[in-house]
Amino acid sequence: MRVSLNWLRELVDVELDGPGLVKRFNLMSAEIEGYGKMSTATKLAVGHVLTCIPHPDSDHLHVTTVDVGTETLQIVCGAPNVAAGQKVIVALEGAVLPGDFKIKKSKIRGVESNGMICSLDELGIDHKYHQEDGIHVLPDQAVAGSDPLRQLCFDDEVIELDLTPNRGDLLSMMGVAHDVAAMLDGKTTFVSPQVSETAEANPVAVSSLSGDCRSYYARVVRGVKIAQSPAWMKARLIAAGIRPINNVVDITNYVMLETGQPLHAFDCDKVKTDRIVVRAAGADTVFTTLDGKERVLLPEDLVITDGERPIALAGVMGGRDTEVGEQTENILLESAVFDGIRIRKTSKRLDLRSEASIRFERGLDPARTKLACDRAAELFAKLAGGRALRGVSVYESQNLAPLSVKLPIAKIASVTGRAYQAAELADVWNRLDFAYDYADGVFTVHVPTRRPDVRTYQDLIEEAVRISGYQLIPTTLHAAAFNGHLTDTQKARRLIRNTLSSLGLDEVVTYSLVAPDVATAFDLDQQPAVRLLHPMTEERSVLRHSLVPSLLGVLEYNRKRKAEDVRLFELGKRYSLSEEVELVSGVLTGNCQESTWQGKTDPFDFFAVKGILEALFAALSVKNVRYVKPARVGSMLHPGVTAELVAGTRKIGILGKLHPNESSLRDLPDTFVFELEFAALLAASAPQLIMKEIARFPAVRRDLAVVVDRAVEAQAIVDSLVKAGKPTLSDVAVFDLYEGEGIEAGKKSIALALTFQDYAKTLETAEIDAAVARLLKALARDTGAALRS
Amino acid sequence: MEIQLQLAALCAEAAAALAGVASMNELSDLKAKYLGKKGPFAEFMTQMKALPNEEKPRFGALVNESKNNVNALFEARREALEAAEVAKKLEGEAIDVTLPGRNVKSGVRHLLTRTIDEIEDLFVGMGYTVKEGPEIEQDLYNFEMLNLPKAHPARDMQDSFYISEELLLRTHTSPVQVRTLLEAGGRKPVKIICPGKVYRRDDDDMTHSHQFMQVEALVVDTDVTLADLKGTLLVLARKMFGEDRQIRLRPSFFPFTEPSVEVDVTCHKCNGKGCPMCKGSGWIEILGAGMVNNAVLEATGYDPKVYQGFALGMGVERIAILKHGIDDIRNFYVNDLRFNRQFR
Repeated sequence: MRVSLNWLRELVDVELDGPGLVKRFNLMSAEIEGYGKMSTATKLAVGHVLTCIPHPDSDHLHVTTVDVGTETLQIVCGAPNVAAGQKVIVALEGAVLPGDFKIKKSKIRGVESNGMICSLDELGIDHKYHQEDGIHVLPDQAVAGSDPLRQLCFDDEVIELDLTPNRGDLLSMMGVAHDVAAMLDGKTTFVSPQVSETAEANPVAVSSLSGDCRSYYARVVRGVKIAQSPAWMKARLIAAGIRPINNVVDITNYVMLETGQPLHAFDCDKVKTDRIVVRAAGADTVFTTLDGKERVLLPEDLVITDGERPIALAGVMGGRDTEVGEQTENILLESAVFDGIRIRKTSKRLDLRSEASIRFERGLDPARTKLACDRAAELFAKLAGGRALRGVSVYESQNLAPLSVKLPIAKIASVTGRAYQAAELADVWNRLDFAYDYADGVFTVHVPTRRPDVRTYQDLIEEAVRISGYQLIPTTLHAAAFNGHLTDTQKARRLIRNTLSSLGLDEVVTYSLVAPDVATAFDLDQQPAVRLLHPMTEERSVLRHSLVPSLLGVLEYNRKRKAEDVRLFELGKRYSLSEEVELVSGVLTGNCQESTWQGKTDPFDFFAVKGILEALFAALSVKNVRYVKPARVGSMLHPGVTAELVAGTRKIGILGKLHPNESSLRDLPDTFVFELEFAALLAASAPQLIMKEIARFPAVRRDLAVVVDRAVEAQAIVDSLVKAGKPTLSDVAVFDLYEGEGIEAGKKSIALALTFQDYAKTLETAEIDAAVARLLKALARDTGAALRS
Repeated sequence: MEIQLQLAALCAEAAAALAGVASMNELSDLKAKYLGKKGPFAEFMTQMKALPNEEKPRFGALVNESKNNVNALFEARREALEAAEVAKKLEGEAIDVTLPGRNVKSGVRHLLTRTIDEIEDLFVGMGYTVKEGPEIEQDLYNFEMLNLPKAHPARDMQDSFYISEELLLRTHTSPVQVRTLLEAGGRKPVKIICPGKVYRRDDDDMTHSHQFMQVEALVVDTDVTLADLKGTLLVLARKMFGEDRQIRLRPSFFPFTEPSVEVDVTCHKCNGKGCPMCKGSGWIEILGAGMVNNAVLEATGYDPKVYQGFALGMGVERIAILKHGIDDIRNFYVNDLRFNRQFR
């Protein structure tokens, strides 16, 4: 809502200064979106064009002499519509026009020019409001030398309110005046409209067949003469952001701004009957609105009819067939209240949201429906020569009684933490112009219909606090003791983030919504991803199944910006309609040890990434994770360099090398990816709680090299040894792998470090020899391995 | 006393010879010469045999004393030579300590998750627990139970990412509050914060993001007041923006709170004097808050005659943007490492 301060001054009895008012609004009422003069132009004067001749050296410029009251100036003017005898707006030497445009004496093609004759655009009045090309011509009675902004009523300031949806009451100057009066402890100075009616009775009969019409008031005004509105009305409409059209349309808009009540004027002679029937569109499926467009209606859209056919789309737009035009003499004026939700649905669907539809949506004051009708009739008489027929046609179903809300003083104290005095609260209600009773510590406040947002004691508390000031509220902390803590899950999430970043990975956060092919790119079995009903773009249309494609996107982005070694991780979710699964995912490429002045580089390979995950598992107390060759690998991973991670019987994730096709497609060197399920990790976490005895006798290490078929996995060898080595074999570690010269083709040599430990005694050499012999036998049986000779 | 003079001369001679010794080899040669089996001291000992028995002990003592003295001179010289040798070796091992250290890579946490941790820690310290919930949420929890009935303008299908009539991507973390209140069954007090991802149907630009992070707080008990909310907001503002900050509350509107307020904090750049950061006002809007609307309490099974509460909600990006002078919200989701790595 854009509020003209000059207009507001007519509606309240207190002094208003712009900056002070802005501050009050911010702290007590509504946020201020903007504040400024209607025109910031300075040093303007009304000029009388005495002479106007073509510029000797130009085919479009004119040289004029202009009487500006104190002197006569020669001014070169480029506007084609300049002519001798006109009253015009002159920016004098030293004037500053909007856009910091300074007016100086100058020579234009050799001719001296001492100022500028202005268009309304040059005063900062947006072209859409006046649609004039060229300079603005003032009425003849304008006095040379006087202030043209005053002449045009543009000597005004405008405050723009950013309204929250509950404050529909502030979509009217009257509503704003009420709030300003409350803020500044003043009174409103509204004047009731005076309508002088003709003897002839208003013949129109109004009815409604729909619950979406709450009330409908109609007047007939005869003998209007369509003309331009006076300058003051035009200026106020422009200040409010509405384009002046003609006096009839302008009056309906002006009264809407004043009262908040949207009005519509039909050309009475084009309405075929004396009946107004409001109903659902039903079988009327097409309607031509006054902008000439054919609108397709839904059966539930609300229409105004003449009892036969629709003449307006209720609250949204009038019809072309009954539009007020230059020839209109008689008017049927509508002031009605329609259901806001209905209006909103129709106006949104047809993309016809307007000043009127917004007001219906936010809620109207039922007490102003008739008032607006009368006010418009008054202005039709005053500004358009209209005569109102006797009586108002009425359909009314609204409750006009104030709503009584109880607020005990004790309640406001217990809610706010401040003990308000009864007198303080009484002052607030008085300032708001709310009637009230007070007895036994309880206020009964009679909230007028203009404030439909105030319905409960909580609403009253808000009114009391904002009008008396939020600064009165003390600053305390809720004293009750609560056990604040993070859950183990929340701690684990942090541990993962901190560990992975300590291990050299950068954390990223990427979008959950992705393109359909991206969402499922990492799926083994491609299930369709959850899709939005109304995505904004295809790129953000479905919920992802994996974080890996997004991480690869970030990887590519950074590689294109010369980052060579990139390792990223993210904690995020995979989505389906049945569950949201938290994932811990990473992508790594380049060197895990960057090249330095010492010349050492160490590119990532499977085992470097596996090492990182092992460190993560250690931090999380996740033990015994097994790396299993998966039966199937999706198209994004290298089938020979991918492992499924299993803890116990539960799959916890996957680690693998990006498929060479994928890497070359994305122009990446060897890249490794992992994706783990957070819940599975957490389930596998088994922190040791009870101390284990530290061995008192020395451990003995024996190294073995065995030769096995190439296909035998190291894990199988370790498993066989661990099983056979109980109880003294305490650790098995692979420390070398060799294939090639000296080893039979198709075989490999694996070197193992065996650690033996007995908690009860020192192991004798003979015992260990015997154990190793036993282990070799088991190994030969389980894996076909033989001691390397 | 000729012997004493001879011994003194010998000691002086050995000391002079030692002064010229520069290596361990020379030292051992010289040592053999003076202290060896054929050296002058051995010679004196053979002379001793010729002396009368009563003079032998004194003579022997004199010779031994001198010999020990010379030996000590040799030891001292040896230690000096060794020290010089070690020093020389260490000098050869000297390095340029200004060369860069071997790179042990450490990554960085994302600024958003770090900011959330910081906010969580603050609230956990004040007795809050952290609650999470699904991002695909029921309309019932996201809107309806929060006093946003189906036709409410603030919940337009066009403003939210709906998946079906009843499911949508949550537009705030408030549904977690609803779920928590329902769980508590209308009897227990609740003191929680709800961090997480939320989604709105906004075009991505410098100040808007279709996905962003929120932290909301909710306290419901029999005695929670607007003053408690104000106190909590002050603690929060000071923790996030500095100990000198002041706050102010302005009227606002959210369907789920009444009264509702916007919270401004004095600008941390200009300390409230007015600068481009705060658009000259000295105040920066940081979040919205209010007293829980009775309609929400009723919908979740709490009796508003007994229970009341406050709620507040902040955009994590906004907090981070203000705190770190970030100019474009999209930075958080582009993940240009030159941006991410600035915030260690």
